[in-house]
Amino acid sequence: MAEHLEKADELMLKPNETRVVVETALAENTAVVVGDDAHLVHYRLSDGANNALTVKLGKNASYDLVTVHLGSGKLSVYADLAGEGCFCRSDAVYALNGDERAEIKTDFRHNADKTTSRQLVKGAVGGRAKAVFDGGILIPYNKKAIDGAQQHRALLLSKTAEVKAVPKLEIYADDVKCAHGSAIGTLNKDQLFYLQTRGIDEAQARRILTAAFLNEVLDTMRIPELRDEWGRLIGLKNDD
Amino acid sequence: MSAWLEITDLHANVGDKPILKGLSLSINAGEVHVIMGPNGSGKSTLSNVLCGDPRYEVTAGAVAFKGRDLLTMNVEERARAGIFLAFQNPIEIPGVSMSTFMKYALNAKRKAAGLKEYDAVSFMKHIKIRAQALEITDEMLKRPVNVGFSGGEKKRLETFQMAVLEPDFCILDEMDSGLDVDAVKVAGNGVKIMRSPERSFLVISHNIGFLHEQIRPDYVHILVNGRVVENGGAELLDEVRANGFARFQKGTAA
Ligand SMILES: Nc1ncnc2c1ncn2[C@@H]1O[C@H](COP(=O)(O)OP(=O)(O)OP(=O)(O)O)[C@@H](O)[C@H]1O
Ligand SMILES: [Mg+2]
Repeated sequence: MAEHLEKADELMLKPNETRVVVETALAENTAVVVGDDAHLVHYRLSDGANNALTVKLGKNASYDLVTVHLGSGKLSVYADLAGEGCFCRSDAVYALNGDERAEIKTDFRHNADKTTSRQLVKGAVGGRAKAVFDGGILIPYNKKAIDGAQQHRALLLSKTAEVKAVPKLEIYADDVKCAHGSAIGTLNKDQLFYLQTRGIDEAQARRILTAAFLNEVLDTMRIPELRDEWGRLIGLKNDD
Repeated sequence: MSAWLEITDLHANVGDKPILKGLSLSINAGEVHVIMGPNGSGKSTLSNVLCGDPRYEVTAGAVAFKGRDLLTMNVEERARAGIFLAFQNPIEIPGVSMSTFMKYALNAKRKAAGLKEYDAVSFMKHIKIRAQALEITDEMLKRPVNVGFSGGEKKRLETFQMAVLEPDFCILDEMDSGLDVDAVKVAGNGVKIMRSPERSFLVISHNIGFLHEQIRPDYVHILVNGRVVENGGAELLDEVRANGFARFQKGTAA
């Protein structure tokens, strides 16, 4: 069962504990500790908030974060993969319009052997809005069997929208698998045309394709009602 | 009186390159027409131009469809007016399932026609019958549009979309290519079932056996270098089978 929290500034999981936490209002700072062999699924909806999240993972712990970020604000995730064999995932969707400004920052530190991280960040930006994705992975010297992956993809929904991606990979070890990439583009014209030839008007075709693009992130959520509700909120945002 | 679909002296370019160079063709309600022509003669271009594909610029000529000026209508208006193209190369849409896609499309069309949108139950009924007839499984309907399907499966799904949307004018661009013998029959049957006095077909294919046995056209047109150079009946198929396009290509070189 999922627990709902508001503006939590601390979230501590004792060893072997498993929790699913949903937050729909965020404090300015949140400290998460996932103890050895503990597992935390964390879903966060940020409507214009600023939040700095720090996460510390114990041995064989797992942290599974999905953030939906609507509107202006700064969100950062600092993760200390401190325990051997731990797994950290931080996926996010952002949707901006009008004159909104958002900054998404991640800083993942593989401070133990056999640690795995995954980041998938997707955004849709319309109007004159601007987003910056600043994604960091650090793999210190001598760490073994590290597996990190970071993907950022953004859709520009208008000619005046802007997205900047600043990936920062610092890899000082050899026994490493680390894939990363960033792509910023517009809606695919052939796909729009194809939908329109079936009678779907252009505005709706754009909506369908934008939602399909962002849903890749939401589809991993384990609470279908929440996924649908947040999907709808994102849709409304992209419509403006 | 002009025909139901009347294409007159149509010219279209990609960039600066002319592809359709004065193409004329008329089709009446209830008829089945076939277009044959060498690779690169402009068959797919004609299909796409009729749908309003923004990659092509119409530089001269006219197209009237059911008394309306087709060329001033946008892509979705043409679709809602009854034009449907089964694509030679269907587009992949990751993240959108075939059934969701069809629900949007069908309801857009119903809404435009002033009909009530389908609810989940009536929609499922509508697509189930058609899926069964065309041997489309539930699993295929749940998968994202055209992603990871074989060439033949994509073609079958195009035919399925046509059956779901029940358009008045169906353009089938090489719907049979890549289909195995059994699937060709299923696709051909789909066309047979949909034939009606109010619906016309324009079938593009290189497969004369398929055209003879499954399509049985009323008219056959030969397209060479962006123009229709010969109009006739099914007997033209035999001539193409025996002699290729050589006779029609004389004096039409670019
Ligand atoms: N979007 C495009 N960009 C550039 N060239 C194009 C484009 N579309 C068509 N053409 C060119 O126009 C010509 C006609 O192409 P089209 O696809 O209409 O031929 P076709 O008759 O359908 O051929 P096939 O039998 O091989 O399917 C070709 O030379 C092709 O390369
Ligand atoms: Mg073609």
